Amino acid sequence: MKPLLIALGFAVSGLVYGQVLTDGDEIVAQANLAAYYAGKDSRSEARMIIIDARGREQRRQFTVLRRNLEAGGDQQFLVSFSRPSDVRGTVYLVNKHVGRDDDRWLYLPGLDLVKRISAGDERTSFVGAHYFYEDVSGRGPAEDTHELIATTDQHYVLKHVPKNPAQVEFVSYVTWIDRQTFLANRIEYTNTSGKLYRRVEALETREIDGYPTVVSSRTSDLTNGGYTDMRFRYIAYDLGMPAAVFTQRSLRNPPRQWLKRPDAE
Amino acid sequence: MTVRSLILLLFVSLSVAAQDDAWDDDWADEEKTGLQWSGFIEGALGSRWDTDSQTGSKGTLRELRARFENDWANDSLAIGFKGDALYDEVIEEFDLKIRDLTLALSPGKNLDIKLGRQVLTWGTGDLLFLNDLFAKDWIGFFAGRDSEYLKAPSNSVRFNLYTNLVNIDFVWTPVFEPDEYLTGERFSFFSPLAGRKVAPDPPLSAVEPTGNLSNGEFALRLFRTINGTEYAVYGYRGFFKQPLGLNVQLLPYFPAMTALGASLRRSQWSGLVNAEVSYYFSRDDSSGTDPLIPNDQLRLLLGFEREAVTNFNIAVQYYLEWTRQHDRLIEHSLAPEFETEEHRHLFTTRLTYRAKMDKLVWSLFVFYSPSDKDYYLRPKLTYRRSDQWTAEAGVSLFAGADKHTFFGQLDDNSNAYVRVRYHF
Repeated sequence: MKPLLIALGFAVSGLVYGQVLTDGDEIVAQANLAAYYAGKDSRSEARMIIIDARGREQRRQFTVLRRNLEAGGDQQFLVSFSRPSDVRGTVYLVNKHVGRDDDRWLYLPGLDLVKRISAGDERTSFVGAHYFYEDVSGRGPAEDTHELIATTDQHYVLKHVPKNPAQVEFVSYVTWIDRQTFLANRIEYTNTSGKLYRRVEALETREIDGYPTVVSSRTSDLTNGGYTDMRFRYIAYDLGMPAAVFTQRSLRNPPRQWLKRPDAE
Repeated sequence: MTVRSLILLLFVSLSVAAQDDAWDDDWADEEKTGLQWSGFIEGALGSRWDTDSQTGSKGTLRELRARFENDWANDSLAIGFKGDALYDEVIEEFDLKIRDLTLALSPGKNLDIKLGRQVLTWGTGDLLFLNDLFAKDWIGFFAGRDSEYLKAPSNSVRFNLYTNLVNIDFVWTPVFEPDEYLTGERFSFFSPLAGRKVAPDPPLSAVEPTGNLSNGEFALRLFRTINGTEYAVYGYRGFFKQPLGLNVQLLPYFPAMTALGASLRRSQWSGLVNAEVSYYFSRDDSSGTDPLIPNDQLRLLLGFEREAVTNFNIAVQYYLEWTRQHDRLIEHSLAPEFETEEHRHLFTTRLTYRAKMDKLVWSLFVFYSPSDKDYYLRPKLTYRRSDQWTAEAGVSLFAGADKHTFFGQLDDNSNAYVRVRYHF
């Protein structure tokens, strides 16, 4: 029996993993789902260490709640900052829309101010880090054209060109997408002078609640030096978060039930 | 030791600050185990270029401040605290100021209640407030304190009710909480009675409404977001927040006022647009004939902001104050030459440039009124050296063709300031 089971197992995994995709759009669609849509919802705690070009260090700590309205479609994010002390209590709410501008708000507790953030600045620094706002909530696959340029044993290698170059600071970027998990292991951005200037790389991936998850990543500024390391811990999926968690109410009154750390990891 | 030398000491510390980061790397121990204090220590210095003839002083800001913050929460309630210990050398006073001392409850599934001393904000304007009639501290703002201090706390109860149809905010402030207004203590101002700039000593003290319950403030907001557009309507019953009236003894006081308004805000043209309107009913002078009490006013605001290029944002606003029955105001006025124009137009621009990974933020805010022929420029530079050390330097420059207009009266109060902060 055993050899048969093993053979069956190979056959099944061969069907799932052995299939080689050749359509860039299809690969990007899968990668988008793997990176940003795992589970119906998720909770995780993040820590960033920001190292500037001169080696000076800053840190940020926050909890991210996410809920999908539709796989590959609209999503909601709530990011609640706990450190350092001058950003403590700041809450960032995103209603991400596919096909139109996201709606984004920032709550500044010192002024009790609910500030709307304009859609234009998605590719600017997220709270002083080398990550952009767009890296947190994802870039819509329809915003670029995708070309599969190589298929290696481990990766699909794709080149992406923005449809509206005026909106972004890059001319193109290349991603190395893991063929099994569809998580991007590396993303490299090229600027107008043809120079590689920005890299995002996955440093550690784990399977959590059945979903392959990047738990540690780094974004580097290749021109000036400096990088940001981001680590996620206490990750949980499919918690059954209601839509009400992602409303303006949560800016002034953060949903402690969902933000608090589960008893055990 | 003077405040100035203490602040110099803070500067020296800033320039030699080592990486004194005490973050524990063990995440498992990170969860709060008890009360944890955070806050900052700040030194601030600000000065006019010349001695003001009225106040007889140069200094506008000279203070040392320590902020302490804490909060505690369980599943059913939350307690918050923010307080400042402040030595203010300009007025030679040591003060303890509570900014936040609140109890927050969620007694129903859709109801939040926050009770106590708190900072409250709503509305869509940027440094222009139409329906936000919560207390403000313009004096601290003009002197260059952190923009956080523009919003003054009040002792209030806030109810938030969230329903599928509409969300309701209701704030009751049992004892009227006025703005910090110009008293002559720190800044001189124009007195229409005297017909010139004054800095009374003792400082001006306006007559506040008597403390019975009917003299409280009631503020209401109904709001809803539909397809990314935020709609709100507002109501307020209370008093003008500045002492704009004169009583029979010709002492300044806060006339009764009711306001009704509405606003919307949405993404548009890769940026944000906002529009807000409010009508101020001057309850004690609805006919507009009493020269000692302001008339009704219609206030209107239109705003747009967007990122012009990466890390550079431009925001512009147009604001109108339309004084109703202006002809009657002039007819009955004791000093018609100092009365406001029927239409006070105001434009504002905010330019923000963020550099060095947001560590350096250049900002310029301009108020310019073509009808009053006056302006207020606020350039500033904010530097975030580390998670612990931040600094800000800026200028408040007031000027105007006339001495009686809002910004024009302040021209001898133009000042420059610098602040250094250590966060803990």
